[in-house]
This record gives sequence, C-alpha cells and structure tokens, in this order.
Amino acid sequence: MATVGFQALHKRYGDTHVLKGIEAQVEDGEYVVLVGPSGCGKSTLLRCVAGLEEISEGQLTIGDRVVNSLAPAERDVAMVFQSYALYPHMTVAENMGFALRVAGRPREEIQARVAEVARMLELEPLLERLPAQMSGGQRQRVAMGRAIVRQPAVFLFDEPLSNLDASLRTHMRVELKRLHQRLGATILHVTHDQVEALTLADRILVLNQGIVQQFGSPRELYDTPANTFVATFIGSPSMNMLRGLPGEEAIVGVRPHDVVLGSGEISATVDVVESLGAEALVHLQLTDGTPMVAQVPEPASVKPGDAVNLAFAKVHRFDPSTERRL
Amino acid sequence: MRGVGALLFAWLLPAAAQAEELTVWHAYSGAEEDALQEAARTWSEANGVTVRPVFTPFGAFDSKIETAVPRGNGPDVFIAAHGNLGNWRQMGIVEEVEVDLAAHCEVCGEAVSADGKSWGYPLAYKSLLLLYDPGVVDRPPETTDELIAQAHALTGGDRYGLAFQIAEPYYYVPWLHAFGGSILDDDVSSPAHAQALAFAYRLGVGEGIMPAQPTGELVGQLYEDGNAAFVISGPWFIPDRKRAIAAAPLPVVSETGQPAKPYLTVEAAFVADQAKEPEHARAFAAWLAGPEGAEIRQRVGKQAVSAVEVTSDDPLLAVMREQAERSVLYPTDPAAGSATEAQARALRRVLRGAATPEGAAAEAQAYREVFQRPPPPSVSPTPYLATMVLVLLGGLAWAVAPLREEALRKQIWEERFSYLWVAPAAVALLAVVVAPFVTGAAVSLFAHQGGEWSFVGMRHFLDILLARDWPVSSPMSFFYTLAVTVLWTVTNVLAHVGLGVALALVLREPWIRMRPLFRAALILPWAIPNYITALIFKGLFHVQYGAVNALLGALVGGTVHIDWFGSFALAFCANLTTNTWLGFPFMMVVALGALQSIPRDLEEAAMVDGAGWWFRFRHVVWPLLAPALLPAVLLGSVWTFNMFNVVYLVSGGEPDGSTEILISEAYRWAFDRENRYGYAAAYAVLIFGVLLIWSRSANRLAGKRVL
Repeated sequence: MATVGFQALHKRYGDTHVLKGIEAQVEDGEYVVLVGPSGCGKSTLLRCVAGLEEISEGQLTIGDRVVNSLAPAERDVAMVFQSYALYPHMTVAENMGFALRVAGRPREEIQARVAEVARMLELEPLLERLPAQMSGGQRQRVAMGRAIVRQPAVFLFDEPLSNLDASLRTHMRVELKRLHQRLGATILHVTHDQVEALTLADRILVLNQGIVQQFGSPRELYDTPANTFVATFIGSPSMNMLRGLPGEEAIVGVRPHDVVLGSGEISATVDVVESLGAEALVHLQLTDGTPMVAQVPEPASVKPGDAVNLAFAKVHRFDPSTERRL
Repeated sequence: MRGVGALLFAWLLPAAAQAEELTVWHAYSGAEEDALQEAARTWSEANGVTVRPVFTPFGAFDSKIETAVPRGNGPDVFIAAHGNLGNWRQMGIVEEVEVDLAAHCEVCGEAVSADGKSWGYPLAYKSLLLLYDPGVVDRPPETTDELIAQAHALTGGDRYGLAFQIAEPYYYVPWLHAFGGSILDDDVSSPAHAQALAFAYRLGVGEGIMPAQPTGELVGQLYEDGNAAFVISGPWFIPDRKRAIAAAPLPVVSETGQPAKPYLTVEAAFVADQAKEPEHARAFAAWLAGPEGAEIRQRVGKQAVSAVEVTSDDPLLAVMREQAERSVLYPTDPAAGSATEAQARALRRVLRGAATPEGAAAEAQAYREVFQRPPPPSVSPTPYLATMVLVLLGGLAWAVAPLREEALRKQIWEERFSYLWVAPAAVALLAVVVAPFVTGAAVSLFAHQGGEWSFVGMRHFLDILLARDWPVSSPMSFFYTLAVTVLWTVTNVLAHVGLGVALALVLREPWIRMRPLFRAALILPWAIPNYITALIFKGLFHVQYGAVNALLGALVGGTVHIDWFGSFALAFCANLTTNTWLGFPFMMVVALGALQSIPRDLEEAAMVDGAGWWFRFRHVVWPLLAPALLPAVLLGSVWTFNMFNVVYLVSGGEPDGSTEILISEAYRWAFDRENRYGYAAAYAVLIFGVLLIWSRSANRLAGKRVL
C-alpha cells in the first residue's frame, strides 16, 4: 500500500498541453476517483501513474519514491484496462498468473495465489476458459483478478465498468466497494460517470481541461462545490445556474431539490413535467426566459402552462467573473 | 461502332491486309539495323514489294523462331547466326535454298551447308579478336609470350594488361584449338585439354595480368576507364566506345606455334518454312547476301560481309577477314551444348584453383560420358498404356457408380444449368492446369536426345531415385540437390520471417517519424523484378569489384578478397542474402497487418505486469502473430522452394553445381544438356511430389487448410 503524490505535474504532446500542473496527494488506502468530461486528461493522468506515458514536467511519487523515470514494471502498480486487455491466447488462470510468471515466481506460489483470488472473485469454475469463452462481466472480474493477484502498491482502474450493461454496472460498483474495504488498497479509478464517482470514492478529483477543479470527499463536492464547473458536473439533475437575479450580483446556484414551488418572489411558467415515480422534474421558464429545473415530490401540484412562484431553500453563490465559490 | 468493326476486321484478316509485304525478323541494333533498313528500302523500291524488318531481341530470338514458325506465325525471312541450323533443319523451320557458294567466303558457305544442300544465304561473319588501346600499345603482339610480356608492362595499380571473360567457354576455345583440342573431342581428358586448361590458368590467374573473374560488363568498364590495355572480344565490343580502339588477330600460342583460333559465327538470311511469300523471300534474301546488299551492309553497318566480291580498305574489316581464316566454325552439333557444360565446369575449377588441369580434364570426361550417354533403351509402352486405361476405367466407374441412384440422376438433371455455368471455368482449368500437367508428367516417361523421342517408362525416375549415375553425395545427385533445396527453403523462410517481423515491429513504434516513407521504401525490393535484383546482387558479390567485399574491406581497414562463389557456404550465403532481400517485404507487410489487429492494450497490460521487451514479444505478441503469419510462411516456403531466378542468376550453381536447387537443376537438364526434356520432366514431377507431401503435412501442421 502506498500514497500517490502529484507535484506540479505537466503532460504535453507536442503543442498540446494536456495536464497543466496537477497538484494532489492520494493517501494510503484511499479510493480516489478521477472524474471529468471526455478529453479532460483523466486517462492520461492515470497512464502517467502507470508509466505508459512520460511525464513532461513535475514530479510523481508512489510511496516515498519519485517514479518519473521508472519503467511500468518497477512502479509496483496494477492496471485494469477499459477493454480488460486479457491475453486472448491464455486461459483465465494463465492471465491471472502472468505477472507472477514474469517475476519468475515458483509455479506452486502462482497456482496458490491465483486460486485464492479466484475464490475471492468466484472465478474458480472459469479458470481453464479462454477470454473469448466468457461474458463481459466475467472478463471484467478476470481483469480485476489479474490486478489483485499481484498485490500491488496501487491499483489503477481505467473506466473498468463502462463496457458493462446498466444492471451489471450497479452490481460491480458494489463489488468494487466491497473489494476496497477488504483489500484496503490505494485505488485510482477513472470514470466519466459521476454516479460511479459519488458512490465509490473516498475522495473525488474533478479534472477539466487538464486542471484540478476540486479534490475532496463526495459530500464536500456536493455541498460546497468550488466553482460552477464542479457545481454543474456533480449531482443529477444538474444544479441550476441563474445569472442576473434581481438584487444579486453573483451567479446563484440552486440544486433542483432546493427549489420550492408555490411561494416566493420569483415567478415562472411551467414548461414540461417529467415524472420519475416518487418524484417529478418540473421544467420551468423564468420571466426573462432562463430555463431551470425543480425536483418535487409526486404527485406534482402543477401542470404545463401554470404560472408559479418560486423560493430557494439553499443557494450557492459564485463570482460572475472567476466563477469561483463566494 | 463501325470503326471498331473495321479494326476487328483488319485484325482478323492480317494476311489479306499484308499480302504484298515481306516480314524479316532480325536482332540487329545500331548501325547494323540502319544498314538492314536501308537495304530493305532499296530492294522494296526496285521490286514493288514492301520489306518490313521486325526487331526481335537477341535473347528471345531463337525461342520465338522455334515457336512461331511451325505454327505459321513466323516471318518470311529471318536473320540469325548459323549455330542453331542443325536444330532448325530437324524441326523443319528453314527451307532449302540455292546459293552460289563461290560468291562467299569458303567457311561462310560451309556454315549454311548440310547434307550437300544449302539452307541459308550467308551474310556476314563474326569472331573474337584481340582488341587494344592504341594509346598505350604500339604494336600488337604476334605471340602469346609477347602478349604476356606487354601485358605485364601495362599492369600495375588498378590497371591490367589484359581483360576478357576467360571463364566463358566461348573465350576459352581459341586456346584449346591452338593446343590441338576441341570441345567436341571424344576424349576431353587428353593432354591437349589439360595443357589448354593450364594455359588458361596461367593467363587468367598465374601471370597476374588480368582482373579476377571478369564479366562482360566489367571488361567494358575497365577498357573505358583505361584500365585494360588488351581486351579479347568481338566486333560488337567496338561501337560507341569513347576510348580509341584497334583490332588485331589473336596471337599465336608460343607453346605450340599454332594460332589461337576463335569460333566463327556466320549470320545468314534464312527463308522460313510456311513463308507467305516464298518467292519474294528467296529473292530478297539472295539479294541481301549478294554484292548489292553486302555493299550496303558493309558501308552502313560495318559488317564483315561474306560476299568475296565486295572489298573494303577498312582496317578492322581486314583484321576480321584475317581472323576468319584462322578460326573454327561454330559447331552446329547439338551435342556441343553438353560437351561445353562439362568443360566449362572444368575450366572454372581450374581457374578457381580447386583442381589441377589434369584432374579437371579427367572430371570433365566423366561428366561428359554421363551427359552424352545414349538414351536408355526404349521399352514397350503396352503395360503403361494398359495400366493407364485400367486406372481411367476404374476412375470412370468410380465417378459414374453413384449415377445408378435415380435421385442423383434427377438432381443432376434439375441442376443442369448449374453445370453449364461452371463449364467455362472447368474448360479453362482443364486447358491451363490439367492439360499442361498431364503433358509434363507424360514427357517424363520419354527420353529426348538428339531430336529423337523414345518411350522409356519409369527409367528416368529409377535413374534419379536410385542415384545410378552419381553417388548420393555428388552435387549432381537428386538427393544432394534435394537436401540443398530444403536447406535453402528453411533458411530463407527463417530469414524472411525474422527480418520481416523485426521491421514490422520497428515500423509500428510510435517514435518512428515518416512512417509511410519507410514503409514504401521497405516494400520496394518487392516491386523490382527479381531477376534485376538478382543480377545486381551478382555484381555486388564480385570478388574484386563487388560492393560487399569493398564494404567488408572498409570495415576491417584493408582489402578483402572473398571469393563469394568459390565455396558452397559462401555461395549459399550470397544466394540467401539476395533472396532475403527479395523475400522480407512480403513477410513484413503480412506482419504489419497482423500486428495492427493486436490491440496495443495487451502489450501495455504486459508492460504494467512487468514484462520486458523480449518477454512481451515472446509471450504476448508472437502467439497472436504466428497464426496470421502461418499461411504466408507456407506460401513463402513453396515460392522459395522453386526460386529459380536467384539461384540461376546469382550463384548459377557455383561452385560446381553445389548450390543448384531442384528447379534450376531441372532447367539444366532440359536446356544445357542436350535438351533431355524427359529427364527434366521427371525432376519436375518429383518436385511436384515433394511439394504435394509438404502441403499435405503443412495443412496438418496448421490444423487447417492453408495450402
């Protein structure tokens, strides 16, 4: 187990500046999710940790070692790829034992470790199968198993759940959480799915355009987003961002469930009502045309075309020029 | 549409369209071609019949004549050297003609005569001469001792006193004749032959006055650069030289007091069988050979014409005439070919220092006896025919038996149109695959020698497989050649795959810039016709002027004199290098394609798993690459097994036929050793058998059908 530290880390491909001075310290045994929109640099950051990309500038530490110039093999990290990257010509057992075989461990030790991890992941009946003979979920577990067998200092997950269908993904999320609790390992997990981030992470690192937007617990990110980007990226449905409210200089952010219909000074028209079962999403239009969303318990008391008054139970205020939290 | 119709019509009826035209095939170029054109024009104007000279490349001339004329597609007249007249008479390609032999030089008349009849109109003659640089040679030598002495004085540094293709039989026979021998001697191990071989060694190697292993191109280059004072070559060497050149007759060999007598070839106009205008053809050919035609050819084409009436004060023509009187008419006996091969082998061994003149001459005699052995006794074809009929009947019965089923008959009838659609393809296959194969296999049951075919059954196969003529360890034996062929195939395929995969791996690396450029450049060897590459590599491996030795010399800081064709291992390496150059791009392209289908993730996963470069290749990349490469490897093995061009053109089987592979050996039996087509066909059938067995076992090896 180990910490992972990023100090002013930059990554450039020719003229393209992908990572712009990443600063963060991942604690030992922490489950950190890297999240952000496509192209924000989160996968690149993970590949830098793995040693698959060279670091252009700055420092990367694993434990107390600076690993900038170490080969992947010397970093003591294990990676689960989005595609799983299982060796198609090897059985499950051979796939899982590959790293130990590379390390030249005795055959008995390899077998014992593979058997142990297979038991943990319920892969025992599949050990002699080839990857092509298994389902997506099974392959995903094998990819996990291959990483676990190595007992690395740090686990790196690159969108490990994105190739699974929705129900399997939910199931595997729980499995991952359980696994982390059991292994107590340091995990860096890349995803673009904020639900995955919120449910799995001890801390979430939000990246946008190669810059760390906020690094904190899911609660912190949800309750006190550092800027408008984090505020809209985290939470579903997204926070409403209102500019130019009467008597208000700042940008006002309101989470849909903090919108109270029926009282208050702001007037709006109901546009569409979406029912989600226990709750409904009410799409509104303010008098100046600004759209916003309210989340209310069902049955909703309004219907399209109604004029309503609004109040906000809680607001977040952001500087209109820097978009930072005030 | 009407235009197309008219074109088609003209094409369908060429005879009608060209009724008043006389076609003359020739291989002349330069001034000689101009002379022929002028003569043709002159005669056409006088006689009202158009003469159309058609150039046909020298290399393909004889084979074109031999295929076109018997089918009625040949010319009316063709101009060629007399050497093949024996064959052509046998094949009925040339018509008998009436020639006033008294009007031509004696030996020229002799060249076109056989059985007391004349078969062509002599035009001109050519032979080797002693050519020299008048800038450094004051007076050409009369004797070989003088020649050697002068050459010594002119040798030094990069300069040589003498240069000619001494290892070629054509350039060797003048000396042999001076020692009283002949290629056609029954005993080629006689003292005359040994002395001639010893003299050739002395001239080519012992005296140190000649460059090593001179080829035709090299001799020309040396002369042009002023690095060869004397050259022995023919009048064809002279045109377009930038350096002044003079000619003299070949010297008298001091040891015997006899002049060196080169072969004399006589060019003649032959009237082709089935000429469309035989009367005009005769008239034109006679006129071309006569004084008027000869005058034009001599004036414009600088030819040494055979017509005695036409004289000239050109010194070169005088020398050629003088040399003609001291020459031997090029033999038309078909046996000359194999006799020449046996002695050429002896000559090369002596020049290489691999045998004494006496030993080499004795070996030549032994080879000659096998090459010229009379064909095996013919046997009755009845048992073979009976077997064949039985097999055919059996096969037919086997094929027809299912037809007794009513259902099948009905099904075939219902699908009769399907059979109709397949019929064209079936006919084509029959014509281009089955028929030639059956013919080739049938030929292997016949012996062909001296133009005679006789049925010998399985005799060739027995001779070959029981190694009756040669010990198994001799390069002439089938099994030796088979072993070389297998070694050749295995080493080549290993080298092709190794280099191809290595380059594909490098080309895939992300740090490679200008990838398409490299890719195109590396595929280039594939795009160049392989015989050109082979000829270039032959030059690169030249012992004295080759780039390979020069490069090695630069590496070790000195001069390197590796005789690449002097030992089996080196000659094999030279062939292997050439064919690897030709063969790796194919494997590279296949490997590049296969590598692209291997996800980069897999290697990255292995990298993170701690695997080094070799471990990743060996355990991740290679297992995924190999199945994709397998079909290419098996295909490549078949191509390499039959890679005639490289072996024939680079080592040419040197030394002593040890680097021949089966296909090139079959070629030699068919074309260098008295056209033993039957024996060569037996080789071809055996090659087919070996490849058949290989493809069956390869399929098993691959676990699927790949060949």
